Amino acid sequence: MVEKEEPGFDSKTSQNTKQEVDLQSDEDKSQEMYQDAGLVVERALDIGEAMLRSGAEILRVEDTIRRICMAYGGGIVDVFTILSLIIVSWKTNTGENITQTRRIYSYVTNLEHLEELNALSRYICTEKPDCCEIGLRAETIMCNDKKGISKSRIAGYLMTASAFAIFFGGGLRDGLAAGMVALILFVWDYLFAAGSKNRVVYSLIISTVAGIACILTVLIGVGVDVDKVMIGSIMLLIPGINLMNALRDMMCGDIITGILRLAEALMMAVAIAAGFGIAIMGMGGLFRW
Amino acid sequence: MVMIFLQKYLEMIVTSIIGTFGFCLLFHVKKNKLLYACAGGALSIIVYFVCVEIGLSLLMQNMIPAAVATLYAEIIARVVKAPATVFLIPGVIPLTPGGKLYYTMRTIIDGNESEVDGLGNETVVIALGIAVGIVLVSLVFYQISHRYVRFQIRFGETMK
Repeated sequence: MVEKEEPGFDSKTSQNTKQEVDLQSDEDKSQEMYQDAGLVVERALDIGEAMLRSGAEILRVEDTIRRICMAYGGGIVDVFTILSLIIVSWKTNTGENITQTRRIYSYVTNLEHLEELNALSRYICTEKPDCCEIGLRAETIMCNDKKGISKSRIAGYLMTASAFAIFFGGGLRDGLAAGMVALILFVWDYLFAAGSKNRVVYSLIISTVAGIACILTVLIGVGVDVDKVMIGSIMLLIPGINLMNALRDMMCGDIITGILRLAEALMMAVAIAAGFGIAIMGMGGLFRW
Repeated sequence: MVMIFLQKYLEMIVTSIIGTFGFCLLFHVKKNKLLYACAGGALSIIVYFVCVEIGLSLLMQNMIPAAVATLYAEIIARVVKAPATVFLIPGVIPLTPGGKLYYTMRTIIDGNESEVDGLGNETVVIALGIAVGIVLVSLVFYQISHRYVRFQIRFGETMK
């Protein structure tokens, strides 16, 4: 009976009772404590990974992981984060050394997730809930995306492309043409973006598609000025968020990640220019507009 | 004065606000923060046009609006308790030199080598101006908000 009750009891204990359990230094208890600390690191890494993927700065990720570990017992926490890897090494006050790493592959900028994860980490550090609850809350934040085609995302594509086509000096018809291109890009992103790990090559391909689509809209007579339509659709693809995060990372002292992000953003910008160039040169040989 | 300014730039201001709104939707800004984020974009583009009217240099034209947008983002982030990135990205989006980037690429393809240098330099100067504007302001806020951060070391006293 006692053995069965222990895990449930342990997962619901607050900080004080945990320390009381610690004081009776039993072999079973210390084993339990070890698992618990490992679980805390795992949850902290989950949150850190989710934050990094939704577009947080390195400093924020490292700070969050460190604070969560400190909240669950203190000790010495070493966190090292770059663009694609998080390493945590935690020496707890009870003497265990726990090291875990996490590799991060894809990035989907989502500021809503970032904001909610930030609020969650504040909640964790003040309330210290048990690990199951942290896992559940993180999962509900990360899985709240509706399945299928989201209307607000389509609206975002349409509004950005059309508005910036007009902003850079196009007419209403150019805006309409840019909106059509944005719809094509949305469908392309929806179908192929999830499987692409190499974002530079993906930028090259999608901007070639965008360039061809822009020229076609002018050829069928919707758009008037192909330059303006193209500028409108370039604004959709520009890696602005990478550049911004690169700046902020370098400013906070994370030079490595700053350079990685800057290099990726510059390569993406060149790839976008090259993609549109391929489209213009390819279509220019076939048609005159 | 204000009327002439509005007459000249109203269309661009409105379209840039709509574009900023679209960007917020793209990056999933939370619904109750959309208004603040779009206000940041509007602020930066209005300041930009004021700077253009005054006749500042290309660097300053982009540096001052970026600095103002960053200041706004950092303050509003502390007011509504959200990461500053949420407001910073929409704030700077209207300043992005998408047009200049395109025309640079276009002149390279068309082979107008005399124009490539000028346009390329302008694009770089604009990007540099925005970067400097952001860094200048956020450095101040970074120094303020990380005054008490201490890093642990294993031997010796705690380092600040």
